Amino acid sequence: MKKILLVITIYLLAAGQVSAKLFKTTEFTLENGMPVVVIENHKAPIIKHMVWYTIGAVDEIRGKGGVAHLLEHLMFRGTQKVKDGEFNRQMTELGAESNAFTSYDVTAYHQFADVSKLEALMALEADRMRHLAFDQKAFDAEQKIVYQERQQVVENNPAAPFNEKLKLLLWANSPYGQPVTGQNDEIMALKYEDARDFYQQYYAPNNALLVLSGDIEPATAQQLAEKYYGKLPISNIQRAEPKEETEVFDATLEMALPNIQAVKLVWQYLLPKHQTLGDEIYAYEVLAEYLGGGETSALYRDLVIGQKAAVTVSADYHYVTRGNTVFSVSMLPDNRVPFEKIQMLQTMQSALEQAMTNLSPKVLEQTKRKMLADLVYINDNPEEAAYLVGYMLTNGFSLENLDTYADKISQVTLQDVQKAYQKLLSAPKVTGILLPENMKGNAQ
Amino acid sequence: MRRRQRKGFGYYLRRLLFLALFISGAFYAGKIIYLKQQVLPVKKILADSVLKGRQFEAKVQQIESGNLKAYLLEEHSNPIISIRFLFQKAGVAHEPEDKGGLATLLSEMLTAGGGRYDAEAFKEICAEYGIKVSFSADADDFSGVLQFPSQYQDMAVKIFKSALYEPRYDESYFELAKTQQMMALKLQQERPEQVLNERFKQFIFAGHPYERQALGSQKSVFDLTVEDLENYRQTKLAQSNLLIGIAGDLSADKAANLLQKLFGQLPKQTEIEISSPLIIETTGAEQNIDRQSAQAVVKFAAQGTFRDSIDFYPLYMANFIFGESGLTSRLNKTIREDKGLTYGIYTYLTISDEAALIQGSFSATPENLPQAKEILRQEWLKLGESGVSAEELAQAKKSLLASYNLRFAEIDSIASMLLAMQKYRLGIDFLDKRNDYIAEVSLQEVNAAAKKYFRTLPDMVYIGARTNVEEKK
Repeated sequence: MKKILLVITIYLLAAGQVSAKLFKTTEFTLENGMPVVVIENHKAPIIKHMVWYTIGAVDEIRGKGGVAHLLEHLMFRGTQKVKDGEFNRQMTELGAESNAFTSYDVTAYHQFADVSKLEALMALEADRMRHLAFDQKAFDAEQKIVYQERQQVVENNPAAPFNEKLKLLLWANSPYGQPVTGQNDEIMALKYEDARDFYQQYYAPNNALLVLSGDIEPATAQQLAEKYYGKLPISNIQRAEPKEETEVFDATLEMALPNIQAVKLVWQYLLPKHQTLGDEIYAYEVLAEYLGGGETSALYRDLVIGQKAAVTVSADYHYVTRGNTVFSVSMLPDNRVPFEKIQMLQTMQSALEQAMTNLSPKVLEQTKRKMLADLVYINDNPEEAAYLVGYMLTNGFSLENLDTYADKISQVTLQDVQKAYQKLLSAPKVTGILLPENMKGNAQ
Repeated sequence: MRRRQRKGFGYYLRRLLFLALFISGAFYAGKIIYLKQQVLPVKKILADSVLKGRQFEAKVQQIESGNLKAYLLEEHSNPIISIRFLFQKAGVAHEPEDKGGLATLLSEMLTAGGGRYDAEAFKEICAEYGIKVSFSADADDFSGVLQFPSQYQDMAVKIFKSALYEPRYDESYFELAKTQQMMALKLQQERPEQVLNERFKQFIFAGHPYERQALGSQKSVFDLTVEDLENYRQTKLAQSNLLIGIAGDLSADKAANLLQKLFGQLPKQTEIEISSPLIIETTGAEQNIDRQSAQAVVKFAAQGTFRDSIDFYPLYMANFIFGESGLTSRLNKTIREDKGLTYGIYTYLTISDEAALIQGSFSATPENLPQAKEILRQEWLKLGESGVSAEELAQAKKSLLASYNLRFAEIDSIASMLLAMQKYRLGIDFLDKRNDYIAEVSLQEVNAAAKKYFRTLPDMVYIGARTNVEEKK
């Protein structure tokens, strides 16, 4: 019965294949060289307005950790024309959901608002791209705020020391091994000038991308983008390429921490940059989906449902980055049986091997269909579309990569996935074992 | 010469003084003009905007089929459909007392295979067709969502019916779901904010079913049986306590038809417990949960008001100004922006069937906690005593009117909104009236509500407030 069902499924899905273009996008460049992408979505008169800077925590000078993030906060504290407090007041009055974020690779400022307010948002955002003017008092307050933010978002998680140490091990001395927030002492040692210099060095239209996603026609968008952003002066941006990790060894991190209630295992593999890998990234993505993409994945079926060795297991491939890409597998062992480290690591190893043996052309097609089935939702929310496009473009992908995504996934062959797995096995790897405090040293 | 000299000296001095005055006057005048140009003319930009005056109509229809009713918003720009629904008074507070975690476990088991689809086939079909089915339970209700690409409606209906009417409760999956739920309970103890959430409920709702843990306890989950779940499903899920919101790529006729296909086989009636609203009287009491963490996490609450009360919009505006309007709220301005004591502090109105609260939360390192709490208390009482200013209210209104359309960002969130409109009995014309409700609230009404609800201090629970923790290495 099930077989017949699956055969029918295949025919149905083949008939309704996803169309090539994911979004209705238009791309152009302003007079000063600033790139713009418009994603049309006319469901409601609303728009996501995002300015992305190709600058992030990896571009910080060693010892000045957290300056990219602190500056992101200071961007809300006034310009030559907009005094401290006024930017946020305007955002509230405009009914805009205003925020920003800093990652390793990029920093983005964004608002979600009624489209009738867009021009005001553009004027305010363009103004702070080149004319930021925060004072010492604002700096002091924001320094304290980002310190509090790190305590709340990072340090209050009892697994934080484990997570940060694992990163250091995986990335050796690359800036990707450091926390985006900076270390506590780094944050508190930052000076007004550090933030100001970082701003002057990196905030300019030639290091930015404008994304407009929502109820706007490309012609109008172009006219407005030119009006508000097109005259902003460019800057001579000099950026040292993020330092490569010198030598990475396979490593195992075992840590017992207070407040941890259950054992957690993670395997992370360091792979080359997406530019180096080219179409291979799709093979790794299919591999991750096949192994650990949800409850129908191979490892879940084997380890959770079959062997009952784990409560959950998942795999993920992170490749939208300017740096090296990371493949990871994580697992929450079933705590009803005593945890035996060596045995558990072997169980995972043989589960991976078994999964690769079981990978048939049929299962591969199934996996790829699952990956493409959700694409129909991607055009629904203009905010999500803006995030996706912004992330891709600021990390070295093109709109063409988005448009060909479904085809690229479809073209991945069994050999591609097997090859990807073999390469994974020879990639630098860290194994992380996080234990409850009372299991310290007991894990053998 | 002398005269000339003398006259000359005084004359030039006066001329010089005059010139100095003139120059400085001109300078200041110039500076004012200059500064005016230096202010970003947001109002003018908006008035001249090429984007103003976009008309948009969101037409909500009520559809009916037999005993079933639903709100529908047709939206055809994407080939997807989302259905949000809830069974009233079938949530955690309505579980039998010794069956903690039942509703949550049932929500998991409904998608672990049904009818001829075992769990594996069920999940496989969902994944391959992009069909999303899930259930969940909050304190009041047992809720669900069904989303699917419109071309796969037939398959979505089949899958959904198997979940709702023919859950299999296969033993291995039943054991797995229990193990996962017990693990979730354990993991909840890891994060201070999650420990706080549970303890806060116990503190505020002591003795009322709202204090219950949605996941149950290790023992109650372990003891749950398939019979418990099945009995609950059959008695709590009926047409008479069902509310439905539908949004997306389908017509009213098709929606009515779909309604019958999905929910037509449910029992017509179920008994619903009548409940009476709780009055939470707060006195500024505090409870400390001892635990070592980098930051103290704080939750506080006071009596709020129900959705159908005449106090609702006035209190809504007062709270918006006080703690809900992001970085410009009074609390964020004083505690975050000026002093840097916290990453953020927020308040919000929460409304359940039996309790209406003003709630709030923030985190701060232990050394900042006393000052942050003190400012919070001052601001709380200040709002109660002096209310808000006309300017603050005008700005809040502008904000809430301008953000109206953001609720239409996503098909699934539209379906959720349609469901909320029914749960809170806002009427099918709510969207037409909502902006008037906001615009018509007067300063007097807002300040009367502020006086009534911010008179006594909220009760507070916090965790991780120990200041003498050892320095971490």
